[in-house]
Amino acid sequence: MNKIITVKNLAGQDIYHIIRQTGEESYTSFPVQADNPNWIALKTAILEDKAQLQDADGNTMTAEQAKDFVKELP
Amino acid sequence: MPYLGNTPTTQSFISGTDYFNGTGAQTAFTLSRTVASVNDIQAVVNNVVQVPNDAYTISGTTITFTSAPSSGTQNVYVRYLSTTTQAITPSQGTVSWSTLDSNVQGDLGISFKNRIINSNMVIDQRNAGASVTPTTTSYTLDRWNAGLTQASKYSVQQNAGSVTPPLGFTNYLGVTSLSAYSITSSDFFCLIQAIEGFNTADLGWGTANAKTVTVSFWVRSSLTGTFGGSLSNSAGTRGYPFTYTISAANTWEQKSVTIAGDTTGTWLTTNSVGIYVVFGLGVGSTYSATAGAWTTTVNRAFSATGATSVVGTNGATFYLTGVQLEVGTQATTFTTAGGSYGAELALCQRYYYKKGPQSSSDVRYGIGFSASGSSTTAYINITLPVNMRTGPTSVDWGNTLALWKGGTNFQVTAITITSSGASVTDCLLQCTSSGLTGEEAYQLVAWTSGGGFLALGAEL
Repeated sequence: MNKIITVKNLAGQDIYHIIRQTGEESYTSFPVQADNPNWIALKTAILEDKAQLQDADGNTMTAEQAKDFVKELP
Repeated sequence: MPYLGNTPTTQSFISGTDYFNGTGAQTAFTLSRTVASVNDIQAVVNNVVQVPNDAYTISGTTITFTSAPSSGTQNVYVRYLSTTTQAITPSQGTVSWSTLDSNVQGDLGISFKNRIINSNMVIDQRNAGASVTPTTTSYTLDRWNAGLTQASKYSVQQNAGSVTPPLGFTNYLGVTSLSAYSITSSDFFCLIQAIEGFNTADLGWGTANAKTVTVSFWVRSSLTGTFGGSLSNSAGTRGYPFTYTISAANTWEQKSVTIAGDTTGTWLTTNSVGIYVVFGLGVGSTYSATAGAWTTTVNRAFSATGATSVVGTNGATFYLTGVQLEVGTQATTFTTAGGSYGAELALCQRYYYKKGPQSSSDVRYGIGFSASGSSTTAYINITLPVNMRTGPTSVDWGNTLALWKGGTNFQVTAITITSSGASVTDCLLQCTSSGLTGEEAYQLVAWTSGGGFLALGAEL
């Protein structure tokens, strides 16, 4: 599952990051940036109904909610 | 006929005659060949054979007559009688690679002959030999991406099944099918290596000077038949599907495919994907095309039409190692891209760098030092061992990490790459925790058990 969280960067701006649990106690994260290959792949997968997205509280978005959400992101 | 003594050298008699014009005064003439003694030639003056030593002597290429031959046109001639050793220089472009001794081939040490990284499957930073079952397209052994459209249809493990690798190898990438899945037209399952454009720029693909390449590899499967794979460009708009036949089940076989370079299409020559090398494990018609020719595609051609589906048979195995992509029309002696384990690891670390304890008992392994920026965040700078392809684009961590100070652990709940802190040489990470004291130093450690790690990715 891919959880989208907001992290303040060094300048105090809110930046979206994806955190994905990859194993029992292992995780990966990557920033939501237009040129980030991980984000590009995830965005494509969400738009093709091949991946799901959770909000920061762990609530799974519906496919339509997730699509609408990622469409607004870079 | 038997003989005693040294093996004779290879020599041959080559007939020949030198003609000279006598002048009545000239005694020394220059021969076209070096001769060892007067007995190796026959000198004739005005059609009279001369007596060696008495009438002439020899020194190297000079024949000196005791008395000057009379004037005449070509009235002096010298015939060669002995064998001569002739140095033969092959014409330009006539010595092929296969003519060379295999040891010489290996010793030539052509830099980066093989464009595949971790081609002999020795490096597995992510899983250290453990089996993984990809649920999304993800990297397995270093540089080898498991591509898929359906989760958990196959597992990947270094040296799965513990069979003996081909001679000269110690490792292989092993795929095991976990079900008998009937692929649909839009499915694909495959192993992919994306070669960075910097490493394929010299191929000249997309130009009239595109170079031919040969892909060779060792493969072993529990299945037999026609298997498929492909080369394709970054955008997936140009592809060359190929096939190969596995003749015997559970037997290592070496295969090679020679592919004329693509003279059209867009082939990137930067730090983006230059060429995708794909081995199909079951690919539907949407992502397949006719083998043996370059084709323009809308959807990437992962494999050849009609190729065997590994994921279609429960328990089927597909093992791969010794993958080499090189310039030329034939497969040459296998070499790794780096040439040594250390160099190969460094090549892998350009795309993925993992830092962590080497044993499970190595608790509180120090990953790096940080300074907290607030009660919930701390920043840690990781100096990369090699320049990565780009600034890291992902961070992996596992087995609970903590920020440690004065005997207290502050559990890390998230680690993210700061948007301005990722470069090819360094990466500034933001660790999220709680209870920190601002502007104080902490050490990021593997906390409650061994095996904690931090890894940075800059994969293609």
